[in-house]
Amino acid sequence: MVNCLEMSGGDLSVDLSTLGLDRRRRDDQEMEDEEEAPTHLNTINSSGGFLVVSTDKLSLQYTNVNLHGHDVGVVQGNCPAPTRRLVYYFEIYVKNAGAKGQIAIGYTNEHFKMRRQPGWEANSYGYHGDDGLLYRGQGKGECFGPTFTSGDTIGGGINYASQEFFFTKNGKLVGTVYKDVKGPLFPTIAVHSQNEEVNVNFGQQPFVFDVEAFATEERLKQQMVIEKIPLPLKVSHWIIRSYLQHYGYQDTLDLFDLASVSALPTAPATHENGFCDQGDSYALSHRKILRQFIRSGDIDSAFNKLREWYPHIVQNETSTICFLLHCQKFIELVQLHCVNRIFNKQNGDMEEAVRYGRVELVKFLEVPSSTSLLEDCIALLAYEEPLKSPVGYLLDKKQREVVADAVNTMVLLTDPALEDPQRRTQSHLEKLLKQLTACCLEKRALSRDQGEAFHLHKVLQKRKGVKP
Amino acid sequence: MSLFWIVLGQPGGLEEMATSKKLITREEWEKKLSDVKIRKEDMNKLVMDFLVMEGYVEAAEKFRVESGTEPDIDLATITDRMAAKKAVQCGNVEDAIEKVNDFNPEILDTNPQLFFHLQQQRLIELIRDGKVEEALEFAQEELAPRGEENQSFLEELERTVALLAFEDVSNCPVGDLLDMSQRLKTASEVDAAILASQSHEKDPKLPSLLKMLIWAQSQLDEKAAYPRINNLSTATLEDPRDL
Repeated sequence: MVNCLEMSGGDLSVDLSTLGLDRRRRDDQEMEDEEEAPTHLNTINSSGGFLVVSTDKLSLQYTNVNLHGHDVGVVQGNCPAPTRRLVYYFEIYVKNAGAKGQIAIGYTNEHFKMRRQPGWEANSYGYHGDDGLLYRGQGKGECFGPTFTSGDTIGGGINYASQEFFFTKNGKLVGTVYKDVKGPLFPTIAVHSQNEEVNVNFGQQPFVFDVEAFATEERLKQQMVIEKIPLPLKVSHWIIRSYLQHYGYQDTLDLFDLASVSALPTAPATHENGFCDQGDSYALSHRKILRQFIRSGDIDSAFNKLREWYPHIVQNETSTICFLLHCQKFIELVQLHCVNRIFNKQNGDMEEAVRYGRVELVKFLEVPSSTSLLEDCIALLAYEEPLKSPVGYLLDKKQREVVADAVNTMVLLTDPALEDPQRRTQSHLEKLLKQLTACCLEKRALSRDQGEAFHLHKVLQKRKGVKP
Repeated sequence: MSLFWIVLGQPGGLEEMATSKKLITREEWEKKLSDVKIRKEDMNKLVMDFLVMEGYVEAAEKFRVESGTEPDIDLATITDRMAAKKAVQCGNVEDAIEKVNDFNPEILDTNPQLFFHLQQQRLIELIRDGKVEEALEFAQEELAPRGEENQSFLEELERTVALLAFEDVSNCPVGDLLDMSQRLKTASEVDAAILASQSHEKDPKLPSLLKMLIWAQSQLDEKAAYPRINNLSTATLEDPRDL
């Protein structure tokens, strides 16, 4: 116990930012994946004089009569194709194939000369309507797909997983070609003979090609490879078990063990593969009881038990853990007021909550790290119906879970056998999921930001047969 | 149209072929890890999913109370599903069929392959019990007509009946049908079919995520040397070898 008493001077604390407290302002990680995508044609950097772009910047027409090789009317999207995804895709509709039907769709980079067909220059790619060939800066086109003309819808996409471009005609895949160019790529359309007219769809209209199904299939291919990877025997079982131990879900753990033993009459699962059964069972029953009190809203009892079992955790009155518990007590009082109001309007004043706040929460006004939660707590007082207010999230049971987790962590940190406190605050499951997320993010960062990231939250939202 | 330009292009990115792997130190990696936020409620969901899918009914029930995590499936149905699965595992195929039908009669109606495999399992159990007469009768009356509908069913039926031709089934080429693994295979088909009828995925998510971790690490290996987790059960970071 010497070890933890030493730490109780101030080091023994939980980091507020790791608790997932700020549920009101979250989802930042998923937001990171949002990037600018082309919405219209770039009218500034286009081969003006040969073509006219409509005022909505979503269609173009070749207006020139002359037809010289340098008189191609080319226009790019207003920004490069976004990369932080599995697939980027856009479509054109050939409204009029004009005199010669020399329409092309493809991708070009920022250095592209706006007087050429996509594919004629290096680092550009184009599927051409008049001959159905694919051009990729090699001097001549390659056999690729059918020609296209008036009434056809043609799509051009980038598959970041396979590093390929793909093209479609009237909703059907035409073919793919390896993308051996790096850096930003602009969706590009070219017209080259009189009266050629094309509408562009950057996703403002539903696509003719089912690009979602295409992406799903691509994910499935990846998934099939992944599913073939072997796992050590019972490793999932072990990770679940250590999770239950870590968070002090002791009753679940006991039932889980009981069912595991009857399902696996051989040796206890926990001792296979050299898994050791020590460590996280530290203070398990204490942690369970503390969690139960907090989950039932009985903060006073949790405080009392902490004072009895682990006095050093709560001895510093302005510690983070005390702050969290006091906030929760305050929240429970507001909760009580809400309940009272429903059953008996006379009893519906917030006096007790206000009194508690004045005594216990005021102390934390000076603690910078506590401001956000404190403000939200106090804001509860401002609303006639706190539950429906923007800070109503505090009254949710999930808030109790957050506090219970913090207390659980604090108790784990008092383990005298503790070697690395940093590691102890996280369950195995959390460490593994963080590693998975970090690996996926890093791989993307080292692949010029191309491809999907991994978000546990999104994986969990997906249900069979339901599009995310 | 033919292209009449001479293009002096270079395929992009040649200069990058020679670049070596990036080295990420433990300190840098730990910073990245700490930037990753995993929601507690998502982890709880993952645990609940595992308990539900693997049939830990009581534990799932208790976990709902202890953690406040709502299962995405009616917990009562797990018991029924596990009972049907277990019946196959113990060789009580008739019992299993009845349980599946009690659960939802449409499952077998709309899934001829599952129904055939259950009947096949029933035949296997008859042969195992040495009930030769009964087995033959069952094969001819119940299974053969189904085989006519589907060539692959017929082949499987023939393979199964072949068990009768051997005195010592433990040494015959189709002896694997009598293995426990055959029961488990049929049982997991039952499991998957019931889950599918509840429009639920058929596998727990956690093992897939663990596989994905192994895969993601090997993908990143191609581009960088970084602290890896080599032992999933300890989740310990190990320093990159190149350090």
